[in-house]
Formats: sequence, C-alpha cells, structure tokens
Amino acid sequence: MKNKHSSTEAIALIDANNFYASCEQSINPNLRNKPVVILSNNDGCIIARSPEARALKIKMGIPYFKVKERLNRLGVSVLSSNYSLYADMSKRLMNLLKNYSEKIEIYSIDEAFVSILRPKGKNLHPWARKVRCLIYQNLGITLTIGIAGNKVRAKIANKLAKNINSSSGIFDLDRIDNENYYLRKINVENIWGIGKQTSIWLQSKGIKNAKELRDMDQEEIIKKLGVIGKRLQLELKGNKCLPIEIIKKPKKEIQVSRSFGNPITKLEDLTQALAIYAIKASAKMRSQNLKSSAITVFTRTSHYSNHPYQKSAHKKLINATDNTNTILKIVVALSKEIYTPEYKLSKAGVLMQDLTTSKYLQQSIMNYESLEESKKSIRLMRTIDSLNKKFNTEVITWAITKKQQDWKMNRDLLSIGSTTDIKRIPNTTA
Amino acid sequence: MKIPLLSDSISAGFPSPADDYIEENIDLNEYLISNPFSTFFLRVKGNSMINSGIKDKDLIIVDKSLTAKPGNIIIAIIDGGFTIKRLSIKNNELYLKSENHDYPDFSFRDYVDIQIWGVVIYSIHSYL
Repeated sequence: MKNKHSSTEAIALIDANNFYASCEQSINPNLRNKPVVILSNNDGCIIARSPEARALKIKMGIPYFKVKERLNRLGVSVLSSNYSLYADMSKRLMNLLKNYSEKIEIYSIDEAFVSILRPKGKNLHPWARKVRCLIYQNLGITLTIGIAGNKVRAKIANKLAKNINSSSGIFDLDRIDNENYYLRKINVENIWGIGKQTSIWLQSKGIKNAKELRDMDQEEIIKKLGVIGKRLQLELKGNKCLPIEIIKKPKKEIQVSRSFGNPITKLEDLTQALAIYAIKASAKMRSQNLKSSAITVFTRTSHYSNHPYQKSAHKKLINATDNTNTILKIVVALSKEIYTPEYKLSKAGVLMQDLTTSKYLQQSIMNYESLEESKKSIRLMRTIDSLNKKFNTEVITWAITKKQQDWKMNRDLLSIGSTTDIKRIPNTTA
Repeated sequence: MKIPLLSDSISAGFPSPADDYIEENIDLNEYLISNPFSTFFLRVKGNSMINSGIKDKDLIIVDKSLTAKPGNIIIAIIDGGFTIKRLSIKNNELYLKSENHDYPDFSFRDYVDIQIWGVVIYSIHSYL
C-alpha cells in the first residue's frame, strides 16, 4: 500500500501452454516429454497437442480417422478429451493466480487477465518468473505471461512472449526501448478484437501490423469501425480503455448440446437425450442463480448427410423458472415437435434463453397461488444439487435418464487420470 | 467427506434444547488440506513403504506447493511413473529410501532424471 503513489497498474495476460495436453501429462508421468494429442467429443478431431506432437507436424483440427495410422506409427499417445480434469485444473490455476495479483478476470479455461502494481520504473520480470515457477511446481503447467499497461497491449505482449525464443515465456511490452520493432512483428489479424473482415479492410488500406494500426489516422478508423476501433487504437497507443472485469456478466443463454455417438432415429431416444441436456442446463442455471423464460430445443443431421434436416422448437414462459420438473415437461413436449422419423439425427441441444438473475426476480401475480408449491420445489432442487455436488456425479436424477443410452458420446480413448473422481486417481508405485 | 455431528431436522412441537449447540460438520478436507488448489490424491500400489506405515491400497494426500526436505515422504517420478519414497541423506548425498528392506533405494547419481513431484502430507488406511 505504501507504494500507491509511486506505482502504476499493469495488466498481464497469462495463459497456459498446451493446456489440455499439459493437464494429462501433469498427472500421468508416463506421458511426459512424449507426443500426446487430445481428440474432440466423439473422438472426431485433434483439438490439442503436446509440444512434442506439434514438433511432429501433426495438425490441429484434423479428423482423427485421417491420421490414425500415422499417429500409431509415430507412437503418439491419443486421448479422448477429459473435461472434468481440465475444468479442475483450470479452477486450481485461477485460484492460485488470485494469490499473485490484485484483480483477475478469467477469460477462458486457460487464460486470464490479471492486474498487478508496477513499482515506478521497474520491470515485472521477477514477478512473472515467480508466478511461472509456482504454477509449474504446483500444477505442472507452463505459462506464457505478457505484460503491458492495458489489455490490448498485454495480449500483444503475450504473443511476443510465445514467438520470441529467448523470452522464456515472459514479455514486458512497457519496458523495452524499441517498441516499434516489436509491434511490427504483430500482424493486424492477430490483434485482439480485429476480426477477419476488419483485417481485410485494414490490409486494403495498407495497414499490415500493430505499429501501422497504432499510427493510422484516427478519423478513418472511427468512420469504419466506430467507437470500438477508436478504443482499440487508444489501447495500442498505451491508454487504458478496457477495465479488468472481475464479475462475470451473466450469460445471455445457457446451451447444452452434444453430438451423438450413434445417430438417433427413434423419438424416445431423442426425447431422452434432450431430457438429459435439460437436466444439466437446469442445474447449470441454478448454480449461477439464473432463471429462464424461453426454452428452445433443436436437432439436426450430420453436416455430411445426403438427406440433411434441421429443426428447432421454442416456448416462451410466463414465469421464469429454474425448476427441472417444469423444464423437463416443456422439453419433452418440444421434442415431439422437432422429430421426423425418416432422418438420422446426429446432434441435439437445449437452450435456456431470456435469463434473469433469480435474486431480482419478481413473482408475477398469476403465480401467487403456487408460491407454496414453488418453495417446496426450490427446496427439492437445492437438495438434489447439493447431493450431486457432494458425490461429484448425478446420484439423483430423473427416471427418463435411466434407459439404456445407445446414442451416448463415444469416448473410447478416455484418459484414465482424474483429480476429482477417487476411483480414477493416479497410482503410485511403492 | 462430511460427517454430521448433530441432525438439524426436527419435526414440530418444542424447539430442540440442543439447537443452540449445533455445530458445523467435521470437514476432513478442511482439517487435512491447507492448500486445496495444490493438493492431489494418489493410490498406493506396493509394499516398499511398509515400515513407515504406508501400505498397499492406501490413499495418499500430496501437497505440491511444499518444497521437499530430507526426511519427508515424497512422490518422485522415476522411469515415467510415480514412486513413493522417503527423501534421505547419506554421506552428504540425497537419495530416495524405501521403507522395506526387500526394496531398493534410488540415488540421484544413478537416476539423473528423477523429479520430485510433491510432498506426502497424509496417508489414509482402511481397517475394513
């Protein structure tokens, strides 16, 4: 505190390198220093690679069946995605980062903006080295840390930290002499907030990199990109326009959708799948104190199908709800509306829309008589949620989920490791 | 992990005279784990640590935020697997000691790529 006047706020963008693969390697030593790839849901495409797999020129996003043999030949470990592990490691990472920063904004599963105080004139390398060491020791995860005075520049600093070999994963953009040299290394399409269309327009104007965008005529930017473009340029120049958002904005909608392992043709299977997603979506809403007053269900055939089909159905509610029973009834009814027998359905989902925070919710007059009933159901939902949380799985659920699930996601190559399920924790030889 | 001490449900009639004495559950997580975000669980396979009281199938709690000191029981990575051993010093040199005469010790000199993964803080043994 005593340094308040002599220090300024710096922003760091911290992200984990090869996060999914690092999580797996961290709790399974047999995978260390070896090529590892992780597949998407249904073991479809490669969505993550360890540095060793990257060095073998295995491409991101490529369908697994196309490279299966090559991976086999190269001795690459192939794992199905294990999201409960990644979510747990992410929670650990973010909580540890909190201890080493003033404020933190969790930006994605493996990425956070943090603010720290910069003592006057000092560079923040010692701080960043400490954070990197600590996270590596505690979680086995390697970080990249980009530091600057604001978010746009922190993002750029992070890119530079990744691209410059001698950086050791740390780059402080506000403590260098030849800033122009480094900004020229960042192409416009890689600047945070510049989309594809914008980057095409910028390039047509001869603006190719971050330095040129910083020095571009402001009026021209405002005319084309409005206030967002103006803010972006101001941040490039070093002004601070985008604050660290500690409190997450409530989500506008909650979606639970999955691809099926085997295509669905029967109505009862579609209904069951949607019911399971509805149960998950309701629990998700309750965990965030949200209620929904509009529900959409949808389904479609595979993108590669010769007989493509997609359909959705929607229902508005008078009273916003987070009650699984109410939502289930609606979703089951809607599932009949989107079902047509002649198609092989490969994906379906449930969307909870028009979300409101339940704390501020007003009961409408129409619902007054059912207030007691609703209190009872709130208690029931709370009990179910807390039991499921306690046992870390859905110990209590609805009868509709209990039928054999023929369509469930394929995860044949599921990694055995877990940090949250006592039956799958790693073994140690003694 | 929660063991209820007293029930808080009472049907009707007089309030329970014990109401004022109801306490929180004993939470073993809270009691055993001081750094939850750095703490991991492992399962023991084998008998090399029997003399230290750690037996086959025991549940091990490992805190990765602690720096290993000689005398600590630690989880090391040797040959691509986790191994539980005691970090010890002999003739001024660190080595990993088995707590069972039928099992070998590991010196850092012979196994150059030994890594220490974390420090064991508790073992939990079932007597059933």
